Amino acid sequence: MQGHTKPTRRSKVTALHDAARLARSALLERPELCLGGLFKQGRPVALVRALLAAGAKDLHVYSSPGAGYDVDLMIAAEAVEQVFIPGVTLENRLCPNFRSAVESGQVTAHALDALTVVGGLMASAHGVPFQPIDALRGSDVLKHNPLLREIDCPFSGRRIHAVGPIRPRVTFLHAQEADRWGNLRHLSTMVYADQLMARASDMVIASVDRIVPDEVILDDPSRVSVPSHYVDAVVAVPYGAHPTASFPHYAMDEDHIDAYADLGDAARAGDRAGLDAYIARHVTGPTTQEDYINAVGGADYFARLEAEARQE
Amino acid sequence: MSAAISPLEQMVVVLARDLADGELGAAGAAALVPMAAIALARELHAPNLTVGGEMFFNPEPGRLYPSMLDDRALGRCEAAETFIELFGHSHHGLDFFFHSGLQHDAFGNINLHHVGGTLHAPRMRGPGAANLSYCHTSTRFYICPTVHTARNFVEKADFITIPGHLSGPEAKRAAGLTKEGPRFVVTPRAVMDFDPETLRMRLKSVHAGNTAKEVQRHTGFDLGISGDVPQTPPPTEEELTVLRARIDKTGTLRA
Repeated sequence: MQGHTKPTRRSKVTALHDAARLARSALLERPELCLGGLFKQGRPVALVRALLAAGAKDLHVYSSPGAGYDVDLMIAAEAVEQVFIPGVTLENRLCPNFRSAVESGQVTAHALDALTVVGGLMASAHGVPFQPIDALRGSDVLKHNPLLREIDCPFSGRRIHAVGPIRPRVTFLHAQEADRWGNLRHLSTMVYADQLMARASDMVIASVDRIVPDEVILDDPSRVSVPSHYVDAVVAVPYGAHPTASFPHYAMDEDHIDAYADLGDAARAGDRAGLDAYIARHVTGPTTQEDYINAVGGADYFARLEAEARQE
Repeated sequence: MSAAISPLEQMVVVLARDLADGELGAAGAAALVPMAAIALARELHAPNLTVGGEMFFNPEPGRLYPSMLDDRALGRCEAAETFIELFGHSHHGLDFFFHSGLQHDAFGNINLHHVGGTLHAPRMRGPGAANLSYCHTSTRFYICPTVHTARNFVEKADFITIPGHLSGPEAKRAAGLTKEGPRFVVTPRAVMDFDPETLRMRLKSVHAGNTAKEVQRHTGFDLGISGDVPQTPPPTEEELTVLRARIDKTGTLRA
């Protein structure tokens, strides 16, 4: 043992712009990008903005079955070719740029359902050639869904559906905490499809609100939602999910999303100046997350979102 | 409790009365009215009703939220699940679920994809929908849009996102839709049900302040009105007191 030096384990902590470059070059090989979270919760929006600033184009976007703001923003930045997400909505209103781009034929939005997306991710995560589905009937979505096939069940002989593996080239996740090796902890109530996506994807990049000491993970391993084995890079980004929520740290910023949607509606009506200014101010302008925080409204503004998350 | 009963409060009360003790169900995407109905049923007559199937069990929101996919609403709940468990629930089905859309047609089919044009060249593209299974794996579902006009109640939907009764009993059988499907359509104006023979929508009752003639005028197809249409039983004193004092503390349903 004399003279032995223990080799160093590699930290997966990565700078935001390095993570974006890593993702962009992988997506040039195959454009399938998948986003964690759901609607206005736990979305990896800082990673999305960094990827847009790095100049991503022609993306095929997947997600848990419901998405809104981030996908609409990617479409507004002209980075998307195809959308494979069953529900695209801001919930209280429609996604303006998604609508415009699909209506004009600029973007193809496939008709899908939750089970096709979840089943495809399950097949990929489990390493099997397809996932059977036996709960889809009567919807016109079945006539158009490009990922489904009809098969005969080998046991009952009934006609059922099958979906092949969905294997994202890159998945972006947002969790509340990680250690430097990339073990993720979701402290939010729901974890959505994040654990499934982590196991289904070629490359996983996670943003977290903070990096915690190794002991925090080792003292409570059952609390780890995504083991580091599945994670390629972890990026510490304060308010990295904004304007979506990262509970219990900060609430969703509905005012910000509504103001963005108003600019999208104006662009629909022919005036794109406000939307372009929004993208310059929030996406392409800031060179650091600190710049972004200041562009949104600074520390006091975010303190309000933190207070809202803490209230009972 | 003398403040006027709002149309949304009337909807909540109608839906709550139809949910039974011991059932399992979930609210769906537009959660405000369904979550209030579920909460009211649990307070009044269904203490063992389980909210589940949407990745959380038995949430206890401090007030009503427009979406349940919000940790401010879910901060207190008994358990959380993921999309893997939702895959299973979607196959096993629930006792009840709720839907609404851009268009609702005479057979209770719901369109959330496009109005006019085609799917890939739409005049107006809608949001789509995530869960297409609960409408036919669950025992029944309710249609409860918060507007009722001749534009969102149309004879035939441009696209069937959520199948209701398709074009009637034969089409429903052929498609393998073996459950009840949509039971009631509850809107701010009225309650509709479906003719058991044809499965076409018909007017069941009108809420206070509406007439059958007005409801027909705001509906894009024939509601089969013959004779007098009864009034929807208004909220009782107890229903209204519990709804306002314990569930909708911030008056969202009256806003």
